[in-house]
Amino acid sequence: MPGTGTRGNGFPVKPSGRRERDEGKEKDPALEGNIASAGELKPADRVVYPNQGVCRVAGLEQKDIAGQRLEFIKLTREEDGASVLVPLQKVASIGLRRVASADQIEGVFHYLGASYDDPELDWKVRHRDNVERLIAGGVLGVAEVVKGLHSLARLRPLPAKERELYDSSRHLLVSEVSVSLGIPASIAEDYVDYALIPPAGVKLPLKPPPKPVELKGPPWKRKKPAAEDEDDLGLADLGLDLGALESEEPVEVEGAAAPEAEREGEEEAPAAAAEERAPRADKPGKKKVKAAPKKPAKKPARKKAHPAKASKPAKKSAGGKRK
Amino acid sequence: MIRIVTLAPLDEGDLGFLTRTLYRSFGVGTEHVGDRPLPKGGEGSDGRFDAVKLLDEAPPVRAFADDKVVYLTDVELSIPEGPLGEPPAWGFALQGGDRALVSTFRFAPRGVTESSIEVFRRRLARECTHFVGHLWELHHCYDPRCAMHPSWSPALSADPEHDLDAFCREKSERRIRLAKT
Repeated sequence: MPGTGTRGNGFPVKPSGRRERDEGKEKDPALEGNIASAGELKPADRVVYPNQGVCRVAGLEQKDIAGQRLEFIKLTREEDGASVLVPLQKVASIGLRRVASADQIEGVFHYLGASYDDPELDWKVRHRDNVERLIAGGVLGVAEVVKGLHSLARLRPLPAKERELYDSSRHLLVSEVSVSLGIPASIAEDYVDYALIPPAGVKLPLKPPPKPVELKGPPWKRKKPAAEDEDDLGLADLGLDLGALESEEPVEVEGAAAPEAEREGEEEAPAAAAEERAPRADKPGKKKVKAAPKKPAKKPARKKAHPAKASKPAKKSAGGKRK
Repeated sequence: MIRIVTLAPLDEGDLGFLTRTLYRSFGVGTEHVGDRPLPKGGEGSDGRFDAVKLLDEAPPVRAFADDKVVYLTDVELSIPEGPLGEPPAWGFALQGGDRALVSTFRFAPRGVTESSIEVFRRRLARECTHFVGHLWELHHCYDPRCAMHPSWSPALSADPEHDLDAFCREKSERRIRLAKT
């Protein structure tokens, strides 16, 4: 491979440019233990492949695919011995990481034991978040999925797909805890449920839980503080210059509700001003502006009805039957 | 085939109810192999038995591939302490393995009345279904009406259900179909 050398273990050393970028990544606790390149791996290492579980590095393998000779890292899933081939270039992007340390696992238990009464009710947002957390959130992300769905299950039975997801994420969490602490899987599961469902009269010795994983997905599906959310109509997402719009005088928009008195007496002046700002209006003689101001006024209305948390009624309407 | 081994004396009627329930839950034949002596190796200084060691030292019985063996005892079990403390041990099973251990120590006393015996039998059936479920790779379930719900959960009633819910039942059926030799 161009730009890569090899170590004694036969695995290529990562390029220096990528190393600098990855140093920034490691500051995020969620990404702790992430493997940035194949150079960090050696045979018999134990790694976690997102959504697959704990795997052991078997070695390098070359394959001819579509006339190209490609290099793969061969992983063997510990659970059933299944083989997973990962192209060398994809090692960083698929979210391969090391098995969680004992400290990380302890943090997971404190997170599981902490009170949690705010499950995401919008199934679309919840599903995307859960999938993303399982891939990029590390062991704490898996615990978040388990805890989130467990909390939701207390409110109502989970739909079939989410029941599957709950079971598989629980399986991933239990197997990683089991490998990390070196205990049988059924005892690891007892520990997980002891934190989630403590017996009556037991007070768990909890410490402040670690910070939940911050997802870096599209901004419209991220939670915002309530105060900011009320005023934010999502115009910034549309690439509009909000400062310019706010400083100018109000422009009448066709179809927008306005007091009757304002319409009759004050129509001329604002319309003329608006015409100056919108020279591309269809009819030059007409005083009303149709196209230019209409766009920013309409878009936020649609945004509010979007499942992302604009307001609670919008959530319900977007949730549909699958909630 | 599910094979039951008793490490402590158990009433014939209780065993009959247990074998019928396990057969109904998993659809595989169930039989009582016989009594075996309790291995003393796993006993700790506090009089409790380490569940992992006890199962490890349990006397072997003749079994075939895909057979599951359930050992029944009445001693108090313990499991290693976790980061948040030690969960109460009602039994122990090797996840996806072939042997499980169930203790009646934490059950309500069997008593002599018809109702107390019935409660004891149902609880015994529930715990055995739970740990055999682990042998078929079932995880704990959030539904308190399912036998795979954690045994110590405060959501469980004094006389909990001993059946699997639809999801766990389907999953166990899939595993059993795949495992049949």
